[in-house]
Amino acid sequence: MNDHILDDLEPYALGAVDRTEAERIASHLATCPTCRAEAAALAEVVATLPDTVALREPRGTLRERVLAAGRAELQPAIASTRRRWSLGTVRLSRVAFAGLTAAAIVLGAIDVDAYRRLASATAERNDYDSIVQALRQGARVWYMSGKGDFAGSGGTLFDPRAEGKQPFVLFHDLPGIPEGKVLTIWLVSPDSTWARAATFRPNGRDVQSVQITMEVSGFERCAVTLESSAWGPRYGAVVMESRIVAPTSP
Amino acid sequence: MPDQPPSDDALLISLAARDLAALAALYDRYGRLAYSLAYRILGESAAAEDVVQDAFLSAWRGAGGYRRERGNPRAWLLSIVHHRAVDILRRKTTFRPAPLELAELQPGDEDTALAAEKNVEHSTVRAALEALPQAQRRTIELAYFGGYTHVELSELMGVPLGTVKGRMRIGLQKMRRALERSR
Repeated sequence: MNDHILDDLEPYALGAVDRTEAERIASHLATCPTCRAEAAALAEVVATLPDTVALREPRGTLRERVLAAGRAELQPAIASTRRRWSLGTVRLSRVAFAGLTAAAIVLGAIDVDAYRRLASATAERNDYDSIVQALRQGARVWYMSGKGDFAGSGGTLFDPRAEGKQPFVLFHDLPGIPEGKVLTIWLVSPDSTWARAATFRPNGRDVQSVQITMEVSGFERCAVTLESSAWGPRYGAVVMESRIVAPTSP
Repeated sequence: MPDQPPSDDALLISLAARDLAALAALYDRYGRLAYSLAYRILGESAAAEDVVQDAFLSAWRGAGGYRRERGNPRAWLLSIVHHRAVDILRRKTTFRPAPLELAELQPGDEDTALAAEKNVEHSTVRAALEALPQAQRRTIELAYFGGYTHVELSELMGVPLGTVKGRMRIGLQKMRRALERSR
């Protein structure tokens, strides 16, 4: 027979209990229909409290961030573990690839056809087509080099010039990270505000593209940190970063 | 015949089927309210945006496991926003007993009533909250928007724990009756 915990249900409904107490109450509710019914009725009242707040407009970019985050989970990985970036029988270093791509764009002379031929030669044209399209009109590019446990890896931030194309980071050689951890891409403003641009886990492939969800302009640095949470402020160590204030393209 | 907008339940079913358009529709419907709630709790736009992004992503991932007994889709989504925002608030601030007047200086307070009155539904809820005796209203607001636990509130307000719980209970009961009368 349950001892009812009706006295605890109001603080619980309002979220005014600590985690331990919340778990204790939730366990009780799982087995007590009486308290569960009362908790549900209280939850209905509490659910109206958001209607008392002043309505504020979020920035328009928030909608894009939300959709980009959802889209990112739908997209199949751009690269395949079975396939390597290669030209003929010569495997192309991922670092060199990122560098070559960056250099071509930096020079303002990216040859889309040549790029496409390269992709075609690797039999992965379709996979890379979206990147080619995004870079068709060139891009501003910055390279972030991995530090510490991420030494040897890196990521190239592309800010496509083409209208409607979102910035993205093309990572190479990302190491595995512990369960429960995530990598977060941040854009850092001149006043040192860190804005979360994307959160992801390495997919185990040599090359991984991650779309970021905000405009690059106005920020002076980009960085990647290892975090324990997919939200909230930055806590984790910086594993790669680059200044982005001065464009590297003409 | 014009298309009817999909119900919230229909949107969640589409969300579970990984329909990006449903995520967009859910955001268009509740993004502003979700952001306003997060901002009210955190008082900072960047953190509020992070919370909203995270909450919608949680809904996107968790829609398949959504069960009606957790509340309707709107309540479910806003409860995610609330929990995430309060978690951040509690992580940012170690509780120290503070003068009550300071604790009551919640972000957004100055324009809450004014803006809420512009919306009939909102004003009904607001009126129900405003009709409570001050001690009950303060207790509920500090708990829900301020992120204080009932133990912290007891210390903050200088009253026994039982009194805090009693204020919450009676306040929520009165609100429930007021909202039922308005339906």
